[in-house]
Amino acid sequence: MGHHSNWPEWVYIGVVVALMVWVGAEAWNAERLVEHIPADAEVIKVTGQQWFWSFEHEDGTKEIGELHVKVGKAYKFEITSKDVNHSFNIHDYVVLLDAIPGRVNTVWFAPMEVGEHDIQCREYCGLIHYNMRGKLIVEEAEPSS
Amino acid sequence: MKSILGLFLVLAILVIIPAADYVFAAGDEPEGYLDRRVIIWNLFYRMMTVAFTVGAVVAGTIIWLCWRFRESNPKATPTPYEKEGVW
Amino acid sequence: MVLELQKPRPIWQIMFSTHHTDIGLLYLITSLTFLFLGGALALAIRAELFLPGSQIIADSMTFNRMFTVHGTTLIFLFLLPFASAVGNYLVPIMVRYKDMAYPKLNAIAFWMIPPAATLIWLGFADFTWYANPPYSIISAPGPAADMWIFGLKILGISSVLGAINFIVTILKCKHPDMSIGQVPLLAWSFLTSSLIVLVAIPTFAAALLMLLTDRLGVSGFFNPAMGGDPIAYAHLFWFTFHPEVYVLVIPAIGMMYEIIPRFSRKPIFSHSSGIFAFVLLSMVSFSSWAHHMYATGMSFTEKTVFMIGTLAAVPASAMHVFNFIATMWNGRIKFATPMMWAVGGIALFFSAGAGGVVNAAMPLDFQTHDSYWVVGHFHLFVMGTIAFGSIGFLYYIFPYVTGRMYNEKMGQIHFILSFIGTVLVFFTQHVLGLYGMPRRVYDYPPIPEWITMNQIASVGAMIIGVSMVIFLINMIYSSGKGKIADTDDPFSLGGKYYFPYEAKNPHH
Repeated sequence: MGHHSNWPEWVYIGVVVALMVWVGAEAWNAERLVEHIPADAEVIKVTGQQWFWSFEHEDGTKEIGELHVKVGKAYKFEITSKDVNHSFNIHDYVVLLDAIPGRVNTVWFAPMEVGEHDIQCREYCGLIHYNMRGKLIVEEAEPSS
Repeated sequence: MKSILGLFLVLAILVIIPAADYVFAAGDEPEGYLDRRVIIWNLFYRMMTVAFTVGAVVAGTIIWLCWRFRESNPKATPTPYEKEGVW
Repeated sequence: MVLELQKPRPIWQIMFSTHHTDIGLLYLITSLTFLFLGGALALAIRAELFLPGSQIIADSMTFNRMFTVHGTTLIFLFLLPFASAVGNYLVPIMVRYKDMAYPKLNAIAFWMIPPAATLIWLGFADFTWYANPPYSIISAPGPAADMWIFGLKILGISSVLGAINFIVTILKCKHPDMSIGQVPLLAWSFLTSSLIVLVAIPTFAAALLMLLTDRLGVSGFFNPAMGGDPIAYAHLFWFTFHPEVYVLVIPAIGMMYEIIPRFSRKPIFSHSSGIFAFVLLSMVSFSSWAHHMYATGMSFTEKTVFMIGTLAAVPASAMHVFNFIATMWNGRIKFATPMMWAVGGIALFFSAGAGGVVNAAMPLDFQTHDSYWVVGHFHLFVMGTIAFGSIGFLYYIFPYVTGRMYNEKMGQIHFILSFIGTVLVFFTQHVLGLYGMPRRVYDYPPIPEWITMNQIASVGAMIIGVSMVIFLINMIYSSGKGKIADTDDPFSLGGKYYFPYEAKNPHH
């Protein structure tokens, strides 16, 4: 075994550890911001089942496959499944959380532009997993009276 | 040495810019809802900058090593262990 | 030399042997067979995904079965048996003992693999290599699912028996003049990965049993309809399989610890830091399992704990990279085929790890979870690091095992094509995941960027396929008709090393 000076390896490890601490701190901070659900977020119940998504708004309105929301409002998705594991994903809004039967998972978002976006399933759920898709439609808010 | 300084400079910038970002971003959105897309992609781009910087250093080092210490290099000299023939 | 094809030994002599070199050979042939079978499935998958719509696979259920068996085969029937092949052949030689500690148990451990493989392939289950409930309980068609479960149970037992053998051989049977700190790093890699196996596998064994009883309807561990929790399976599975990925990578790094100093004509920069890094990595590997479960609805605190556990493993891996770079420094490097594979593997190891660190950052997982980013990331590990290290090592021991040299030009072409192909497929898939394409999908909407990237990936896969055909031809032809190798110094490096002097095979 060679006896050579050790300090380059220690500096290297120091840099690696510092980088990891930085990654962890930044991630922790970003997650803290992203997980803080606004108090006035409107609840939308999301139910995944083989092989489609259904939604229920706070006022009782139900939708299947399509979800209509208003620009500028905060929404809180309460996600569950009726059969196997699915994962509710609106990729354009970086919304992703598993739909697990027997459990409700919560994630929120606030769309800022009018538009249409894809909803997809991100957990293998069988035959039509690849086509378990939906549409998120963000509409203009009603003019306030 | 220069590469380490460069690395620290990049890192320092990467810490200052997001801090400044949050200060200025707070006033931008109507009703003050955070846009999760901005937070997440912003973090992603910063981490990619670091990853590619470190990657360039690591990959660059490996490529340089392979070039400089290849046995066909005119500057190549036998290692001290080759004299004894045991390593 | 166990494989002298010009004067072949009777096949039954090899099959019924308990000598470690013969068992190593059996593991080797088995693992390479499944490399090609699993790889063929990969080519079919990539051909199907070349365009939206159905290409060569008629329906999604067949596709789902193919990716399940592809993953299961390449992990359990190629990577693990290949490591066992190398370990069995070399560990007793490295610790200067006559055989493994328990030769008959060793043979039993090997012979569990063919029946398990048969069960997996005849069943062709569709529930992904992860088999997560409730799908695997209520929706996966049996008997494929049950055959897969039994197959994996048998493989788990085989792994544990192998691990016991490695641990006892290295710790208890090593030569009296050899201190534990002098044991070669390749042997240390088998010691540490075997210790991980002993601790981690029983958890999955329990989970498999529970999955089976759930499927039979007599229990409700993971079935919500019977009061169970699907997330419990996720914890049990990942508690085993996160450390298991280190069981896969650690021997490959150990193999690089043989190749890189040898071809640099220098000893390893720091033997003791290599040992420390292996031990640290195996311990820390147990602290990060639920980073696979960030999207299941865990609390902020839980996710933070596992993020810290994940990041903690990075310095240990970084120590290995440093060791390799410092070894090559001031060396006089011969870039024969094994060395190319080892160095290429280190470069890809870094990119795989970097992508993993990005994943570990909790909120970034919302972008990447269950998308093609993850597929690209883990394939950079299993193909780019582990397969590269393993294939390089195969070229390295080829002259010792067969007494003949492989064709060097073909070996280098194999490396170059595989490297280009690997980069094309798996780097592209990272970007594809950022564009949102989910994994485990038979078909995808005709989004132009997705189509382009899928096509690039498929071309890369075909390039790898071509390189593997070249590899197969080289291996088969050279085993029988290659130039006779000088087994003291087959690569003309100009040195004498402690091994692999000829294994004392009782049949010679």
